Amino acid sequence: MEKLLEMNNFFKNIIIGLFSVRSNLTRVILTASGLTIGIFTVSIVSAAVSSIDKEFAKSMDYYGNDKVYVGTWPWSFDFDWWKYRNRPKIEESSLEYITQYSEYITDVSIKKNTWTRATYGNKASWLQLNGVYPSYQDMLSGTKIENGRFFSQNEWDLQRRVIIVGGTVRDGFFQGKDPIGKKIRLNNVTFEIIGELKKQGIGMVPGGTLDNLVIMPSTTFERILTRWGFDELVLQTNPKDIPLAKEEVGMIMRVARKIPPGDDDNFAVNSADAYMEQFNTMKNAIAGMGFLVTGISLVVSAIGIMNVMFVSVRERTREIGLRKAMGATNFNILTQFLSEAVAIAIIGGSVGIALIRLTVFGLASFPIPNFNGATLPISFDLLLVFYTFTVCVFIGVLAGLIPARTAANLNPIDALRDE
Amino acid sequence: MAKSKKEIISIQSVSKIYNLGETVVKALDNVSLSIYDNDYISIMGPSGSGKSTLMNIIGCLDVPTKGKYKFKDELISEMDDNQLANIRNEKIGFVFQTFNLLPKLNAMQNVEVPLIYSSLGRKERIERAEEALHIVGLQDRMTHKPNELSGGQRQRVAIARALVNKPSIILADEPTGNLDSKSGNEILKFFAKLHKDGNTIIVVTHEESVAKLSKRRIDIFDGKIARDE
Repeated sequence: MEKLLEMNNFFKNIIIGLFSVRSNLTRVILTASGLTIGIFTVSIVSAAVSSIDKEFAKSMDYYGNDKVYVGTWPWSFDFDWWKYRNRPKIEESSLEYITQYSEYITDVSIKKNTWTRATYGNKASWLQLNGVYPSYQDMLSGTKIENGRFFSQNEWDLQRRVIIVGGTVRDGFFQGKDPIGKKIRLNNVTFEIIGELKKQGIGMVPGGTLDNLVIMPSTTFERILTRWGFDELVLQTNPKDIPLAKEEVGMIMRVARKIPPGDDDNFAVNSADAYMEQFNTMKNAIAGMGFLVTGISLVVSAIGIMNVMFVSVRERTREIGLRKAMGATNFNILTQFLSEAVAIAIIGGSVGIALIRLTVFGLASFPIPNFNGATLPISFDLLLVFYTFTVCVFIGVLAGLIPARTAANLNPIDALRDE
Repeated sequence: MAKSKKEIISIQSVSKIYNLGETVVKALDNVSLSIYDNDYISIMGPSGSGKSTLMNIIGCLDVPTKGKYKFKDELISEMDDNQLANIRNEKIGFVFQTFNLLPKLNAMQNVEVPLIYSSLGRKERIERAEEALHIVGLQDRMTHKPNELSGGQRQRVAIARALVNKPSIILADEPTGNLDSKSGNEILKFFAKLHKDGNTIIVVTHEESVAKLSKRRIDIFDGKIARDE
């Protein structure tokens, strides 16, 4: 019972604190707006980072965790453009060496890359083209043939104009109808669609979406579309053998290219995990900067709340004296001012959450044009609300503690005499 | 005296000494004093005489440096802050020269303030506050804010606040100091009525006219009781 009465008292003091928030609403809102901005940015940064993460992982499926790629450029974000641009092109003939000498590589394919204009009737679109071997059928990663079939060895040998298309072609050219058997023009040459890939949605990696992709025999590609673009070797291995396979492929490439010992490689052996590492470094840098900036803004807003609380204590010294004369204990006064500070912080945080909710809602209802109906990858969840309130209570207590203690420890006689 | 009086406050050889670095100020010097039930006392003295210090000690806002202060059976001079707060809450009603009403609260809420720090429930608090405002004759001003009330009315709200916890003593510090003579007289008449109804009242003042209305007068001079009659 005694405990219950104490609790009752505790809540009464909180109500007194809240009452004083209500009577100084303008000042409270101005002070809380710092925290609103802080909470808003911290949430946007974390939402953005986690969404980028998700999208990136999806994109990485495209490259697969069981493949090694050989190209002229390393997959990294620190481009040394002049160094890489003068490297010799990747020769398809290297594949013979790799097939012959490699222990870890189980399957190989060339992958010729370019972009071209595709048309059907009066509709036109830019699509990414890959010219590959028939073996590539088993090396597709992050997607599969959902409709129709892959091209055959025979079609490859005869340089047939057959293509497997990504998910956007159906909607873009055929109003959602089955595209199999239809003919579209690529670079003004007619091709027949024989297969369709599963639709993926937007990805974060350049060229990392499969939806704009067109796959065809590399022989056909070579005959018709060789004006620009670049070649890569795609090598199949086991996920656990990736590091060894990369090392081995590197050595075979040096032999194939007759690079003297001591000279640098003039090619790059890549894999998705290395890309992932690069990406994580960048992501952490973004997150670090974001959280540093918002951390500072949270500290600044905590100082703002502390300042307002000191003003509040100063303004209400007589009130404190009076309440103490009427029987308020130090703890009563402490609770009153602490709950005032926490209330300010929570008001700021709630407005921040409302802003985030609005932003997410706004982004969701306005798809970005030219991105196949995809929206900016920012999401909103209840955990965010929970964290925000925890942070607000923490900041409120932190900012309010010293002013509230000052108030609680005031001598009632001096406080009553205050002018 | 017709009826035997019960002692409420017993102050024995109390001193209050302020140590201001070089100088030592004896605000109260070995004062002894008893206050009985249903007393109506005025404490008089020039400024700096120690009457405020005496009032603060009687009001349990301060503790003496030396000596014993007993309130009924409780030894105030040995209490900590929380215990003193409890005594103030339950046993003492304060009336101040400047009223000290909270400007954002209405009359009713102002009167409720002491009850908030007691363990009463909301319903009982409202009942008690209404009752107290009735006693001071402000039953139709309950929802008025202090700035909507006259000086006399404000002081009556303050008196209602002092009465609301049914205290053992009412301690008034220059209660008419901020009022015109007409309102001042009304307040003093009201004190007389409260005294007649059985309340114990202590008024700190420097006005002869106020002191004259009390039943017992204590003069303080240089930290000592100069006269008590």
